[in-house]
Amino acid sequence: MGYDFALQDESFAVHPVHRPGRGHLAIEGRAFAAELFPGLVPGEHFLEIDGRQERIFVAVRGDVHFIHWRGRAHRVEAIDALERARRAADPAGGAEVIQAPMPGTVVEVAVAAGQTVAPGQLLMTIESMKLQTAINAPADAIVGEVCVADGDTFDQGDVLVRLAAGDEEDAGANEEEAR
Amino acid sequence: MTSVPGIEKVLIANRGEIALRVATTLRRLGIASAAVVHAEDAGSPAALAVDEACPIEGETPVAAHLDADQIIRIAREIGADALHPGYGFLAENAPFAEAVEAAGLRWIGPTPEAIRLMGDKIESRRFVAGAGFPLTPSASEEDDPATFASRAEEIGFPLLIKASAGGGGKGMQIVRSPGDLPRAIELARSEAARYFADDRIYAERYVESPRHVEVQILADAHGKVLHLGERDCSIQRRFQKLVEETPAPAMDDALRSRICAQAVAIARAAGYRNAGTVEFVLAPDGEFYFLEMNTRLQVEHPVTEMVTGIDLVEEQVKIAAGQPLSFDQASIRFEGASIECRLCAEDPDEDFRPAVGPLLLVRPPEGPGVRFDGGIAEGQEVTTAFDPMLAKVIVHGRDRTEAIARMRKALSETVILGCTTNAAYLERILGHADFAAGRVETGFIPSHEAELASPPLATEERDTVLAAAALSNRDFVERVSAVPEPAASIGRWQN
Repeated sequence: MGYDFALQDESFAVHPVHRPGRGHLAIEGRAFAAELFPGLVPGEHFLEIDGRQERIFVAVRGDVHFIHWRGRAHRVEAIDALERARRAADPAGGAEVIQAPMPGTVVEVAVAAGQTVAPGQLLMTIESMKLQTAINAPADAIVGEVCVADGDTFDQGDVLVRLAAGDEEDAGANEEEAR
Repeated sequence: MTSVPGIEKVLIANRGEIALRVATTLRRLGIASAAVVHAEDAGSPAALAVDEACPIEGETPVAAHLDADQIIRIAREIGADALHPGYGFLAENAPFAEAVEAAGLRWIGPTPEAIRLMGDKIESRRFVAGAGFPLTPSASEEDDPATFASRAEEIGFPLLIKASAGGGGKGMQIVRSPGDLPRAIELARSEAARYFADDRIYAERYVESPRHVEVQILADAHGKVLHLGERDCSIQRRFQKLVEETPAPAMDDALRSRICAQAVAIARAAGYRNAGTVEFVLAPDGEFYFLEMNTRLQVEHPVTEMVTGIDLVEEQVKIAAGQPLSFDQASIRFEGASIECRLCAEDPDEDFRPAVGPLLLVRPPEGPGVRFDGGIAEGQEVTTAFDPMLAKVIVHGRDRTEAIARMRKALSETVILGCTTNAAYLERILGHADFAAGRVETGFIPSHEAELASPPLATEERDTVLAAAALSNRDFVERVSAVPEPAASIGRWQN
């Protein structure tokens, strides 16, 4: 069974391939001879791939792999089968949740549940590392729920606002609620 | 007895790289060092480098570092005879400087009077204009709040609205048309109140394509005022400096002597003492205007140290002890070129959004002419509690070309894993043809946005990164090993 590895918001299938003599793997169906050897200093590794040798630095936390190679740091997330299934089953069915892009505090909430918002309209202002950021509506929508209040702190990924779907049925229901 | 009579023990009222930087010089001078340390920084390199780490408490780490009473109480308890404020926090707070002196300690910085006069943007502009030095046209709200908007409009557009007590781009707004003015005033005022507990604002002419050039000043208590050359700090994002260098590129000797002489004259007129920086806006036509004075050691001071060989912290300590400067203007030699890059926990591809995360692997750059001023350690968690700057990479070269080459190599060899940083982005700035040609101005980053963005990975690069990730993934490797034959032959797959 293969694994999915996510790099730069894209997912790639990587499979082990068994051939005598040395390690192989297949990325998106293309087979490579590839082996990874630890180096002398912490984090240092030598990757032999397709006859090349590359000096890289690797750090792993859980499913996330940080790879430093040729002056760039890359974040690669291993996605297990369960998570893959969950992602496939949740095609963001119309409604939208606005998640915190980073940890911080709420400076000011600018909308209330039931309110109709236009694309780009300010939903709230948040502050993180002394920088203020505006959270704007991505599209025409109705505010379903504001999950935080002025002064609240939140973590990266926390839901800040739920927007009700733009389709008529949902919109109608929300408008009635608002009345 | 230390090498600076009168100063036996210094309390550093700061954290991170600057606390470590100050501690290093104190050790060299044989002076005992102490630092206030919030629990969040326990075990940090700065806390480990000082002779005494003194816990401070507060509702947030920043609040603890702004708690003047607590810091002064600690200074007395440990028997410190001087206090170094570093930069930021209370470094330009005149009442704090006064309270430190009232507690019987030496304040390693300018006099409280000088901070009051030059550390406040409105006061300092008034003073500098009054002394006959050129500055950009401006209007202050407090002169007459009712007419502020119309006086701002008279300056002409584009203009800048700034916080009087501000710095670091906080509370600063560019206004390009009269219609945007009311909103910009509102925003600047609310940010000023939030960050500086002082909502005074002012407006000034915004010079298009300006360079930010500043002059390092050293002044002793005996009337000697010297300059240590200029620094160009034009490469900025969000009005905060990212890359600083000396000498300033594309500046001829005549302009250099004029701008340095003016900085010395301003500092002398202000009765300034200790280390300070006079900042100027340099227009494309060679005209320059006084911007503000920073009454403290600056983040970018190392580039000046690299070309002059003068340790600015050492000079600060000696000046605070009442010693006269041991050199003259003519004896200061400027050798080669130096560049500093600020390594920040942020994502340049996402509008420089601050990044958080664990520092899983930290490997500073090495090599001839490379200096790394960092206060970070592996295992540390980067949080939103403090500023996103993690460390500074500083290089020296015989000339600017060599300095650029060394910096590019140093940046690409700087390994920080676990938290997104701007290291690769900085390398792209240094590698840009306009930077190499010295064509820098404060709009450099926005006007080169497309060329500076992360290049997409070629398929071969992508496969290399994915292979490295897969082969360092325990589950992936174990799954491979679980297969009976030919498991033995791939036993070398390991992390």
